[in-house]
Amino acid sequence: MTADTASLPTSLREALRRAALDFPHRGIAIFDSRGRSCERQSYAELYRLATESAARFAGLGIGRDEPVLVALPTSWEWMEAWFGLLMRGAWPVASSGAGAMAAAEAQFDKVDKVMAAIGARHVVASESFRAQAGEQGFGFAHEGVITIERLRGALPARTGSAAGVSDAGDVAFLQLTSGSTGLPRAVMITHQGAIHNPVASDEAIGAPLGEPMHRLAECMVSWLPLYHDMGLIGCLMLPMLCGLDSWLLRPEAFLARPRLWLEQLGSHGTSFAPAPNFGYQLCLERIPADKREGLDLGAWRAAFTGAEMVRPETTSAFCAAFEPHGFRPESLRPCYGLAEGTLAVTFDVKGSGVRTLPAPAGTDAGFAMTDVVSNGVPIRDTSLRMTAPDGSVLPDGAIGEVCIKGPGVFRGYYRDPEATAATLKNGWFSTGDLGFLAAGELYLTGRTKDLLIVHGHNIMPDDIERLADSVTGGGGLMRSAAFSVARGAAGEQAVVVVETAEADPARFAEIGREIRIRIGRTMGLPLADLVFVRRGRIPRTTSGKMQRGELRQRYLDGTLERLHDAPMHEPTGHGAAKEPNR
Amino acid sequence: MSLRETTLAVIAKVSKADAAAIRPDMDLVADLGFDSAKALELLVELEDALGIEVSDEQAARLNSVGDILAIVETLEPPTQPPRG
Repeated sequence: MTADTASLPTSLREALRRAALDFPHRGIAIFDSRGRSCERQSYAELYRLATESAARFAGLGIGRDEPVLVALPTSWEWMEAWFGLLMRGAWPVASSGAGAMAAAEAQFDKVDKVMAAIGARHVVASESFRAQAGEQGFGFAHEGVITIERLRGALPARTGSAAGVSDAGDVAFLQLTSGSTGLPRAVMITHQGAIHNPVASDEAIGAPLGEPMHRLAECMVSWLPLYHDMGLIGCLMLPMLCGLDSWLLRPEAFLARPRLWLEQLGSHGTSFAPAPNFGYQLCLERIPADKREGLDLGAWRAAFTGAEMVRPETTSAFCAAFEPHGFRPESLRPCYGLAEGTLAVTFDVKGSGVRTLPAPAGTDAGFAMTDVVSNGVPIRDTSLRMTAPDGSVLPDGAIGEVCIKGPGVFRGYYRDPEATAATLKNGWFSTGDLGFLAAGELYLTGRTKDLLIVHGHNIMPDDIERLADSVTGGGGLMRSAAFSVARGAAGEQAVVVVETAEADPARFAEIGREIRIRIGRTMGLPLADLVFVRRGRIPRTTSGKMQRGELRQRYLDGTLERLHDAPMHEPTGHGAAKEPNR
Repeated sequence: MSLRETTLAVIAKVSKADAAAIRPDMDLVADLGFDSAKALELLVELEDALGIEVSDEQAARLNSVGDILAIVETLEPPTQPPRG
């Protein structure tokens, strides 16, 4: 590390204490669920709140290095719980709240399974969460739920050395990310990673502007969920470490009224903000020309796009649409990162707008990209290389698996040594993303892993397939496979292929609708296409392992023989979801 | 327009479907292709059009067109009309 980082705090607890002392006028403002009003508190107040709640968690018997889930929406209660656990020396584990349309039962089920997998005894959640989970017979609802009321009513205990020194390499918290077994994996994030990554990002963000972003900006404005690495590290840790204000909207408030985000970006001085491609696309679609009046985006000096494939058609349309309202096209900057890297891996540091190269041969056809986007160069102290399937390092320009090494790389998956050993070797993490380097900059071209990234959220195909199979009878008559295809600016969308012995086309519509309902209500995920094929048409290896990549290729090539007219039972209102790109 | 007609018109607008084709037994995800962003867009459009306020708990239970028709009938406009 350079001299600049020598003075960095050695733990997030120390970081919060320093923020309270060094930036007394800075803090966090959190909007209500509709984004109408907000409550602002300083970092000093957050420190006081977190210290008090740490003592109460101790009083409830929460120990050091104990994982505790936090299943609350973006709110001051979330801060009280997450930072309280952090100050206690426990490991907060931010978990998604109930999504609109995703059944509450699916969320309880997920919380239940995650708690079992990581050995967590407790989840901090609302009283209505506790009551509903109890009604549905979930065991954790009895003693396992710590409501904010229960926390505030607990007798504080002396935390002793809990808030004291920890080694920078110690685990600070767990970050949930999708796993292949139908269970999220718990990524162990160290204090060092959680401090180095935002600080290095601050440097990279400010690079084209001549100095670290915190010297130029007043605030970060975010609608990203705090259980997502981009929301937690990028929009909460970074402002806290760098002494900036953080304005936080709930994701639902943004999805309901995307204009709120843009309004806030122009209202609190020089600002910056990240979002997945989908966020920019939503602004374009939901804020048409006649609704842009009065927007002033001149203060928005850095607009990051990451967490899913950056679509050049979205970024150029966004610039064209909002430039008349003060938006600077050069402030739109791609970046690449993932939970296992704490967050950021690369940033565009040129600041001359979104730059592309023609998509080379070998670019995944399913992403429907004619151009690939430069995601920039690695942040400080971080290395990047592309490897062939045999592990050998590839030269510039050759497509291979993106591997990263640096202080942000995670310690491993908690209680999953097998998954850790498979991806983390000698400090190098194999990301499962495919890409190439040109002039030191990273371009993404595809993925080795069977993962769907829809609206910035990682989804394992197994989760979709399990739901589809639960309708069709699973290993009996039918078996399904899920993958994603990109449809222009709409980005990745889910497709399910179902193998069946059923011959009656009338039954397809019925079963198909049931599959769509089950996946929709559980995951909040619509399907762009649902295809029935004869048994044996889903390709498998000799050992019987499903080859989703090959299946997807056949789907894209149009060589997959459908048992019905395509597309089957197209949802009436799904404008973007038409025939696959051929 | 009646409450029902207004509601169906809003659903048609948000889902980009033909209002005449929308039936109460239609599922928002399976039949109208909604995702969570569309569902939230529909909620605010309904709240603005009808001057009602749907709670998060109520919203979580809306799965079909029929569910929406049922809930708007039970909701009185709030004394303070919503912004926007």
